Amino acid sequence: MMLAPAAASAAAIGLASRRAQARTEESRAPMLGIMGAFVFAAQMVNFPVGAGTTGHLLGAALMAITLGPSAAMVVMTAILIIQALIFQDGGVLALGANVFNMAVAGVGAAWLPYRLLGGGRMRDAGVFLAGFLSVLVTAALALGELAASGTAVPRPLAVLSLGLFSVNGLLEGLITLGVVKALGRMNAAWVARPERLNSRTAAVLLGSAVALATAGLLAASAAPDTLESLAQQMGIADRGRPLFETPFSDYAAAFIRGRWLSQAAAGLFGTALAFLLIYVAAKVRSRRKGA
Amino acid sequence: MHHLELDDWSRKDSFLHRRDARAKILGLICFLLSVALTPNCAAPYLWVFGAVPLAALLVARIPLARAFVLSAAVLPFAAVFGLASLAAGGHLRAIAVAEKSFLSALGAVALIATTPLPKLTQGFLWLGAPKFLVLVIQFLYRYLYVISEQAQHMRLAAASRGSRLGSRFRMYRLRAASGALAVLFSKSYLRAEAIHHSMLSRLFSGRFGLMDAASPTLPDYTTLVLLVLINLLLNRFIVLISQCRL
Repeated sequence: MMLAPAAASAAAIGLASRRAQARTEESRAPMLGIMGAFVFAAQMVNFPVGAGTTGHLLGAALMAITLGPSAAMVVMTAILIIQALIFQDGGVLALGANVFNMAVAGVGAAWLPYRLLGGGRMRDAGVFLAGFLSVLVTAALALGELAASGTAVPRPLAVLSLGLFSVNGLLEGLITLGVVKALGRMNAAWVARPERLNSRTAAVLLGSAVALATAGLLAASAAPDTLESLAQQMGIADRGRPLFETPFSDYAAAFIRGRWLSQAAAGLFGTALAFLLIYVAAKVRSRRKGA
Repeated sequence: MHHLELDDWSRKDSFLHRRDARAKILGLICFLLSVALTPNCAAPYLWVFGAVPLAALLVARIPLARAFVLSAAVLPFAAVFGLASLAAGGHLRAIAVAEKSFLSALGAVALIATTPLPKLTQGFLWLGAPKFLVLVIQFLYRYLYVISEQAQHMRLAAASRGSRLGSRFRMYRLRAASGALAVLFSKSYLRAEAIHHSMLSRLFSGRFGLMDAASPTLPDYTTLVLLVLINLLLNRFIVLISQCRL
């Protein structure tokens, strides 16, 4: 189980490193190293989480926003390697999985909302979501890898873990937003807004969203969700009748056989529909502004 | 500052210190694979693998107690996964997770304690690690404690001004922490720029003047072959006596 994420991490970091090198002058590598040292040091600044506990910044979102995604992936990887080899933090055996979860997926999950929202009026939401998602995606992947390695985490424990990580994610989002705002006041160039999306980038981002949605649906639990479970317990689950049936009811395409395939098709349809609605709304809004 | 301790150890002289970094890195990878690929049901016998890093530390004359303490730093992290395994009803798995984590950390300490960082990074480069990543690692390691000490000074200054962790005004604390981080970021960035400019003025081209790696010698090859054989044999031996399979 440790080999698959290690191989994926090696490939992803090889690409990110090449990309970062192409975009950054080689002689500026020292700066990235020192910014990595900053993330180390930043993790020493604690803030209250509640119930007498404190948390600290993870830094994936902050790095992605200030250095760009490729450089941030390289810096996070360097941090994780130093932590595993010198400080035995996280362990050498888990290094591949940690790099994949935090440096590749964590930074990617932070960059996606910032790239989509950071250039416009919803910049603050983009920064907050970057911090929130970087923690949540990392945590969800860690739990998923644990399950894939054969440890069936009991449902209450998994729910509790995700709840705690959500609180951590909220705080990461808030503190990332606070730091980015403060940096903007000090030197706006440090937190430059991302350029407006061109059609190719938008297509890549859309593709990523579709892939994530599909993967999420494929990995989704077959167990009923909280509301369904409550309805079953109260004995009212079967009383409700839909007003009309659609070919995608219950998150599955009725015209495709096979549970996974039909759920994936429903996921793709839902994502495409959501994108279409947002696109139309954005077009209408921009026309109104233009007029 | 245990990285200074590791630095000091890595500059000692012993049979293992003189070995080529590439042989030691490949030996560690072989050790990690052997440990990781041993089935969890063999947990009661996994400790036998400890003989490999233990022998390396003894040959390199590294203080064992300190090496064990440094390696134990991985245990809190392993405990989280161990507890999850325990909750899922796999007590052997929980023990195996803790053992494997500790053994891998001990192996890493044995490598770091016998190989100075420049040689280690040169070994990583030879194994195909991206050059840019290796450069970032070298600078990160070099300035880690400079920036960390700056953070500690800022914490001390904040504490002297009456900042308390238990403040009832959480949002205020959160805002204050954000501000402190932004100041630390700006100080780090400015320091990074100053270092960058001073390196450019000394004609730094982006490459470290690493010495060309000498060709591995017969003792290097012998050490590597021995490490591979011992690890494979230990893996087979443990699987055999525990009578369990992957």
